[in-house]
Amino acid sequence: MSVRVLIVDDRPARSHHLEQALIEAGFEVIMTVHRDDDLHDQLDRLQPDAVIIDAELPGRDTLEYLGHVGRRYPRPMIMLADQDAPELTRSAAEAGVSTYAVASLQPALVRSMINVAIASFEQHSALRHELTRTRESINQRRRVDRAKTLIMERRGMNEQEAYQYLRKLAMDRRLSMHELAGEVLTVLDRETKS
Amino acid sequence: MSADKTGGNFAPLTLGILPLIDAAPLVAALHGGFFEREGLAVRLKVEGSWASLRDKLQVGAIQGAQLLPLMPLASSLGLDGRTTPMLSALTLSRNGNAITLSREVADAMADYRRCDAGAGAREQALDAARALARLIAARRADGLPPLRLANVYPFSSHRYQLRYWLASAGLDPDRDLSLRVVPPPAMVEQLAEGRIDGYCVGAPWNDIAARRGIGEIVAQGAAIWEGAQEKVFGVCRDWQEAHREAYHALLRALLAACRWLDEDNNHRQQTARWLSDGGYLNVAPEDIEASLDRQRGDIIFFDGVANFPWRSQTAWYAAQMRRWGHLAMDPDRVKAEIEDTLRPDLYRRAAHSMGLDAPIADWRCEGGHGAPWHTEGAHGPLGMLPDRFLDDAIFTP
Repeated sequence: MSVRVLIVDDRPARSHHLEQALIEAGFEVIMTVHRDDDLHDQLDRLQPDAVIIDAELPGRDTLEYLGHVGRRYPRPMIMLADQDAPELTRSAAEAGVSTYAVASLQPALVRSMINVAIASFEQHSALRHELTRTRESINQRRRVDRAKTLIMERRGMNEQEAYQYLRKLAMDRRLSMHELAGEVLTVLDRETKS
Repeated sequence: MSADKTGGNFAPLTLGILPLIDAAPLVAALHGGFFEREGLAVRLKVEGSWASLRDKLQVGAIQGAQLLPLMPLASSLGLDGRTTPMLSALTLSRNGNAITLSREVADAMADYRRCDAGAGAREQALDAARALARLIAARRADGLPPLRLANVYPFSSHRYQLRYWLASAGLDPDRDLSLRVVPPPAMVEQLAEGRIDGYCVGAPWNDIAARRGIGEIVAQGAAIWEGAQEKVFGVCRDWQEAHREAYHALLRALLAACRWLDEDNNHRQQTARWLSDGGYLNVAPEDIEASLDRQRGDIIFFDGVANFPWRSQTAWYAAQMRRWGHLAMDPDRVKAEIEDTLRPDLYRRAAHSMGLDAPIADWRCEGGHGAPWHTEGAHGPLGMLPDRFLDDAIFTP
């Protein structure tokens, strides 16, 4: 009987690659879901033997919880592979792969599945130039600063006034500051070009 | 002399946080220059989940993190991830959680409510739990499925505050409800879409649901346990042993940032700006400001010796785990692990070096104080904040 795997990943190119690699290695991929999917309901409905999830996704905490509440749910791989595979744990963490598997799965199968996932994630990460969240947050901060500077120039405001102006706009439109800054910059850039 | 310092500065450190309002002490310590003043070069890394923070701490990818109060103990006991001894000597924040139910459920409960809007927070919370119990009984009689309530992590304050509140009205969380974990940023959407019926979560997700009219806050976390420990600063014991002076400097910087946050409401508003401009938290700035505001929110960062790492408070959470069958280990082993994990001695060293007094006890009776009270410090009495439980229980560890 083949091992039924659920993939949770927001990057279609990578999850497609992972799916192919898992199938080639003899696993069955029952579905690939997105971060916004309700993982609790999906696990109840699909009852996968294992879940492979992008380690950065918030949904991991849902899987952690399920792994603690019931034997029929996949448990964090870190608990299964503890004794025999600390290296595997480390390379999975470095590749950004997180795996959950039901207790009845053979350790050898779990290890092979994790290795496929690590290879797939690493290969994918070598192909892309993805911004880390830290880099993203620096860019977001820069964007807010730039929007503020432009508003100061265009409207003759001081820094505090420009900030209050942006803050009010963000509040009215229920956007975060960097989302609003992004929109302001798009509009102002368009004005500059025309 | 430790080897981690060269030329007056420590080796660069990465600390992990989650996109939450109560990441404020770490964000303020960075942007307010408190780390720098201690000779620390710190990078903050925003993670997506508690599991991810735990993994990165356990494999050493980050050196310290904002954690839920049970996480250092759970890691030390081998319950959470790979068995890794951790320690915590600093509470980062208290309060901030609340329980929100969907508009639909809150409306259905209205007929069973007994106390009016003028009642105190504790009476409201107790009354809401009783009303929910009656609604659940009625739903069961009608053959309706159990209500679905969410919290944030297995080893979370939210999980045990929610269960404590439910149990106050005789509800059995495992029999009468369907409990689950939903990442906080997804909670409001899931509530709006009817995929869950309520949740226990931190700021600002309760206020956001209330303002959008899709949920009603039925119990403040502070009504369940006033001044409950909410986030702590945790590190691996191995790392601390190899970097004692850097760790001491981190404690000083974070303690100074917490003091600064509670000194002046403007400091909190400044921190709200750092949180929103820095892209740490993807919500409208108004929501961040409201949750951090001293009048509108109830989060405490420093006042009432808030940062002291009381062993009895971790023991309370551990007792809750045991109560619900989530902790079966020998109590003496758990107690010994609490002593090794919670380190008031390291707190005192940092506090005293800053001219701050600290309690002389490591353990205390929890609960029973409905008003400010005093405990004995090394240099005299120390003003403490109320610590009452929802049901007036006294916890003697």
